[in-house]
Amino acid sequence: MQIRDYVLRRLLVLPLLVVGTSIIVFSLTRIGGSPIGIYLSHEMDAQEVAQLEERFHLDDPLPVQYVYWATGVLRGDLGWSGVAAAPVTEVFPAKLTASMELAIASAIVAVVLGLALGTYAGARRNRLPDHITRIFAISGASMPLFWFAILLLIVFWVRLGWFPVGRSNAEIFFSIPHPTGMYTVDALLATDATALRDALWHLALPAICLGYGATAIIARMMRSSLVEELQEDYVDAARAKGLPERLVLKRHARRNALIPTVTVIGLTFGFLLQGAVVAEIIFQWPGLGRWMADAVLRGDQATIMAYVMFTSVLFLVVNLVVDVVYAYLDRRVVLGE
Amino acid sequence: MADIPRRVPVAAPLGESAWRVRARRWRELLGAMLSNPTTVIGLVLIVGMLAVALFAPVLTEANTPDPYQMPRDWGALNEPPGTPGHALGTTNTGGDVLYGIIWGARTSLRLSLIVVSLTVVVGVAVGSLAGFAGGRVDEILMRIVDVFLSIPELIFALAIAAVLGPSFRNIILALAVVFWVKYARIMRAQIIHIKENDYVDAARVIGDSAWRIYATDVLPNSITPVIVQATLDMGHIVLVGATLSFIGLAEAGLAEWGVLVSEGQAGISAGRWWASTFPGLMVFLWALAFNLVGDGVRDVLDPRTESAR
Repeated sequence: MQIRDYVLRRLLVLPLLVVGTSIIVFSLTRIGGSPIGIYLSHEMDAQEVAQLEERFHLDDPLPVQYVYWATGVLRGDLGWSGVAAAPVTEVFPAKLTASMELAIASAIVAVVLGLALGTYAGARRNRLPDHITRIFAISGASMPLFWFAILLLIVFWVRLGWFPVGRSNAEIFFSIPHPTGMYTVDALLATDATALRDALWHLALPAICLGYGATAIIARMMRSSLVEELQEDYVDAARAKGLPERLVLKRHARRNALIPTVTVIGLTFGFLLQGAVVAEIIFQWPGLGRWMADAVLRGDQATIMAYVMFTSVLFLVVNLVVDVVYAYLDRRVVLGE
Repeated sequence: MADIPRRVPVAAPLGESAWRVRARRWRELLGAMLSNPTTVIGLVLIVGMLAVALFAPVLTEANTPDPYQMPRDWGALNEPPGTPGHALGTTNTGGDVLYGIIWGARTSLRLSLIVVSLTVVVGVAVGSLAGFAGGRVDEILMRIVDVFLSIPELIFALAIAAVLGPSFRNIILALAVVFWVKYARIMRAQIIHIKENDYVDAARVIGDSAWRIYATDVLPNSITPVIVQATLDMGHIVLVGATLSFIGLAEAGLAEWGVLVSEGQAGISAGRWWASTFPGLMVFLWALAFNLVGDGVRDVLDPRTESAR
């Protein structure tokens, strides 16, 4: 099969998966009963309740309700968020930029640290740095994010007082305009060093915390793929022609080892997406994840539905991109289909 | 057509039944696993924590009427570790942290056993059906699996548990709904691969029923990746379950590690580090132990990944 066909086929399946997901999400929220509760008040009588049900089509059969809901979503109507006391679509952008800033910072931490650690360990196979990296990587997969976050807070916030919680210092926040909603970018646009330092200072702990799991995965992949590359003939050839070990690593082995690692980097995205819920709660980061957690605890169905749909679509698109990149890098995947 | 006798006595020069060959192979694998120190560390951790879970009523005086509820000592709030009677300190509601850790091990064992057995049974059944039936049945089942896999697992479980209402039982249900798909996928791939083998054709030729071929030839030969995944999931499920209860989806006062971490979180700014630190450490060790063993099993079963270690 040609790569173009493969990509086309995946693109055609994507909307079907999104529809499937939306059906699951919709049925889920209806398991918990009718959402009429949020519109009710004590003074209403049975007739008024019935009128309300009719108005919101809640007296129709479920498939019909689904169609109403889905057309609403397509028109950009995601319902009323009880937690935020505003329409979901109105609150969403601000929460999204907060989450995006944290996710991007965590991804930078994870990629830089993961690649460096993986290379360092892979080049020193079965020696002490390799063993330490291995322990670090295995711990990463077992680390409860909520616990790691609290440990970081106990040490760096309570004991040492090095880092703050929250997203910004109030005084500094009001000293510059916020056109993008990402405080680091806003500070750069305003060319305000104090604001930038403050934004980064608030960002550091949550980004390290959220990035840890992904760092571990990337480091592990980079290490094992580098170890494999270092056993290839071309590496021996490079050494035989007298190239220093440092250059063998940098110019040859590491470049090839990056191919499988790049796809893993894409897949760790799901890690960041899920961890964000916990990290945002603990570090009091006002993003989508914390909004979702509040919604979950207070049964805010519109927010839950919007959040699950959003993350699923994002997850699907990222996975698609990763698979396509991987197919380009390694033709066997497509031919094997 | 001539009558083909069932169960032709195929030459068995070594005199070994298939089951005995398998048993020998398992012994060899176990030996190989035990030669890896990290696997042994994992096994020791698992045995230790299982012992804590099993002997919880011996190690502590069980709270009445429900031992899974934290006992409250209202005369000892926020006591630091080392307080007489409260070796690891107490929470801000007078819960003994040590009690929570010990009974939390039992809670975690219950959670992971129930979820893993439910998901393995459902996943293996669905995966086998898809792999064996092929055609339209396979297509439909796998598209359902695809949809389930397109929602990130923690967020999916979070949404289900939220809709069902906050309780530990609903956390178990939510995790079961989310985790069976992995097994279905693994099992289907295995079945498709295994049923191409000559011995399956041979069994078909001698007239074995489909069910018999499945039970004696296909299932035992395709189950190992499921076992690896189940081992990893024993740890992973406790990790996700504790995350859900940390967020607040379990009953308050439950002797469960995630609940305890969440209860202790309020006190950390006042310097009370113990109520969160110890239960969180248990979640970490639990997940770590099963990850180490799961990795060990995988290394032994798949020599290709071992070479890269």
